[in-house]
Amino acid sequence: MFGLIARRILWAIPVMFIVASATFLLVRIVPGGPFDEDKSLPPEVLQNIKAKYHLDRPVHEQYFFYMDRLAHGDLGISYKYVHRTVNDILANALPVSIELGFAGLLIAICVGIPLGCLAAVRRATTVDYLCMFLTTAGISVPGFVVGALLIFVFGIWLRILPVALWESPRHVLLPALTLAAGPTAYLARLTRASVLEVMEKDWVRTARSKGLSAQATIIKHVLRNSLMPVVTVLGPLTAILITGSFIVEYMYAIPGMGRFFITAVTNRDYDLIMGTTLVFALLLIIANTLVDLAYTVLDPKVRIEG
Amino acid sequence: MSSSLEQLSIQNPGEPDPNSDLSRDESYANKRRIRRGPVQEAWRRLKSIPTAYVAFWLILFMISMAILSAFGIHLTAYNYDETSLQTIANPSWSHLMGTDELGRDLLTRIIYGSQLSISIGLVTAGIALVVGTIYGAIAGYYGGTLDSILMRGVDIAYSLPDLLVMILVGVLVGHGTIGILFALGLVSWMGTARLVRAQFLQLQHEEFIEAARASGQSTFWIITKHLLPNALGPIIVALTFTVPSAILAESTLSFIGLGLSPPACSWGTLAADGWRALRTHPHLIFFPSLFIFTAVLSFNFLGDGLRDALDPRTRVKSK
Repeated sequence: MFGLIARRILWAIPVMFIVASATFLLVRIVPGGPFDEDKSLPPEVLQNIKAKYHLDRPVHEQYFFYMDRLAHGDLGISYKYVHRTVNDILANALPVSIELGFAGLLIAICVGIPLGCLAAVRRATTVDYLCMFLTTAGISVPGFVVGALLIFVFGIWLRILPVALWESPRHVLLPALTLAAGPTAYLARLTRASVLEVMEKDWVRTARSKGLSAQATIIKHVLRNSLMPVVTVLGPLTAILITGSFIVEYMYAIPGMGRFFITAVTNRDYDLIMGTTLVFALLLIIANTLVDLAYTVLDPKVRIEG
Repeated sequence: MSSSLEQLSIQNPGEPDPNSDLSRDESYANKRRIRRGPVQEAWRRLKSIPTAYVAFWLILFMISMAILSAFGIHLTAYNYDETSLQTIANPSWSHLMGTDELGRDLLTRIIYGSQLSISIGLVTAGIALVVGTIYGAIAGYYGGTLDSILMRGVDIAYSLPDLLVMILVGVLVGHGTIGILFALGLVSWMGTARLVRAQFLQLQHEEFIEAARASGQSTFWIITKHLLPNALGPIIVALTFTVPSAILAESTLSFIGLGLSPPACSWGTLAADGWRALRTHPHLIFFPSLFIFTAVLSFNFLGDGLRDALDPRTRVKSK
């Protein structure tokens, strides 16, 4: 297992290198730079600013300069948040986003998996149809609509929950619910399909025919085996959560990664765009490694050599 | 007795007795079975799924609404850019969904915006169809190392968060309609590619493909005439799911200010406008959201329905 982890870490280095290079090219080859809007600046001043951030050099020199810094763990300086390094911004933003992400994930797991099981067990009944309708609605509704609805009901109409910023646990509730809507529906559908598949298996029928109650069969035999595919979606789920964080952090004015990413793109804040993108890539790699680890732990049949 | 004998003698011996109820039913059934092609069969099955059937008509309604609006026919008494002094009015009989900050009728603007939103969804599905089919066909038909490399690429592209890629690419290609379509196309072809490849790999070893090869037909002909038509069902289903995700992605991008922006008018930009007035005039975000939700939900239900209707495995079960 340690071999697997070591191999994954070795793999992550070239992947991160490719992500960094691709993002670098993507944001630098576009005409226009971070200081275009400041039209009032005299050319000399603009020249000085560009020199300060090494933006006056040819692109390939900038690239080597950036890569050199990156290799030393320095992600550069933000152009718009003056005097703040990208490392500093990310160090503050990442814990916020991770908190939000885990809160969302927790809700999704606690609601989605039981919902999916319920639908599968009550297959082809009203309960099942209702669950399926709800989950299809859940994947069809844009995150901003959920957010707007929650903000309107709990923040503006009932006035019982704060609708912006990130200060107390009470501030976590609405954003986490907004973030969880999509993943909950996704997990519920997946769990339902997985449980249905396992319920068809011979050993489930054997368990039932040996006189085990339906409830016990489901808890002891079906659930454990059907959670396997559910664990493996942690990778895609991380992607969904990252995507969701863009919208949620934008709507609730939460100082997290998603919000900084969006403002960085809007401002053409090169180093901050790259910094956030690299952290997202790292999160995805970690999630996918965890999935592989979970495979080896949960299913003795799968042993990834390494 | 004699009359019935007469009738019998007139009758052609090969033909079933037209007076017998049983034979009439049988020939009727035969005729029906022959006449019913795969499309009619799928349609009949789709009709038996209520959500999909309702979704189908809703989608048809929205598409015709968009087409009519493209010809300048809105179902309302206003024009999409017609301003009035009744700014940010609440819904009333004269303005069913209220008006925006310039006094433009919201319902008219939503109908006008459906042109952009729906066509973005459909065009993205078109891009996914072309790119995904070609990519998947190459991987599936040639197999081997080429297939492994191509599919590795799909795996990587698949694991990236769509919105992240679209936002980054958006920096490069800009935030116009073409830029959005490019970004959407870039993140939506992988599903189709995987599907086409899987179908091709499965069909490769069927006898009719071997026969086609043996009779010296060209690769292009085998792919387009023998392989693709057999993979059509799953492709259609995948495309039906591409449309709603494209509509969702466009509206989300526009909402966070990295997609279309005014004067372009889509459901996403309308919702983004409404977001700013949520506290005072919630109807401005409610109605565009309702349309996005309904359209996306309908396409998802239609996709679910089509999957069941076109899947030969469930077909056996229902009979």
